[in-house]
Amino acid sequence: MSDRVIVNQIRTLRFMAGEMSQAELGKRIGLTRQTVAAIEAGKYSPTLEAAFRIAEVFGKPLEEVFQWSRES
Amino acid sequence: MPHREKLAWMTLLLIAATYGPYFVHVVLSPPTPGLLPNLPQLWLLALAAGGNGVLHILGRIALRVGAPEDARAPADERDHDIQRRSSMVAYYVMMVGMMVVGMVMPFTTSGWEIVNAGLLAIVLAEITQNGLAAWSYRRSAA
Repeated sequence: MSDRVIVNQIRTLRFMAGEMSQAELGKRIGLTRQTVAAIEAGKYSPTLEAAFRIAEVFGKPLEEVFQWSRES
Repeated sequence: MPHREKLAWMTLLLIAATYGPYFVHVVLSPPTPGLLPNLPQLWLLALAAGGNGVLHILGRIALRVGAPEDARAPADERDHDIQRRSSMVAYYVMMVGMMVVGMVMPFTTSGWEIVNAGLLAIVLAEITQNGLAAWSYRRSAA
């Protein structure tokens, strides 16, 4: 098994986007608020398409939103 | 809590409230063997199934009225993922149940025992599906 986990910067990016709400982000990418919250907390890994959609909303490349890091 | 998680919990609750008493009654006072059609037993079954159906409809209406936006939102990829996994496991529960009911029990018993075993297989599959769905939502809740 991999000792790596997927982490993300969605909370920071939402803050930088004028404190965009989870519900608003979800609405823009076709996910429920609860699913956005689960992704943000690292409890659910989105599909590649949803990940690209999230990155597109913030105008960032995918690797600035999601990283594959070693567990600390 | 996501709308579909509420539906899963509600379904589990209604199964416990309707089929639970039915199966407790079946265990405590089993239907008389050979007595067919056994109208009192048929009424009990109709009461459990009908009651479950009516309460389910009322529950769905209550959830829709309570949180209309959540209820209107289409299922997203996490909902589909949870649905697919829980249905897959429930399918095997149902298949094993139907094999026992349709391929084993006819050689050993008949009548209401087969009917109740078939119903139990369906109820167990429903419990599996909704239980797994509710657990999956809890596990991945933020």
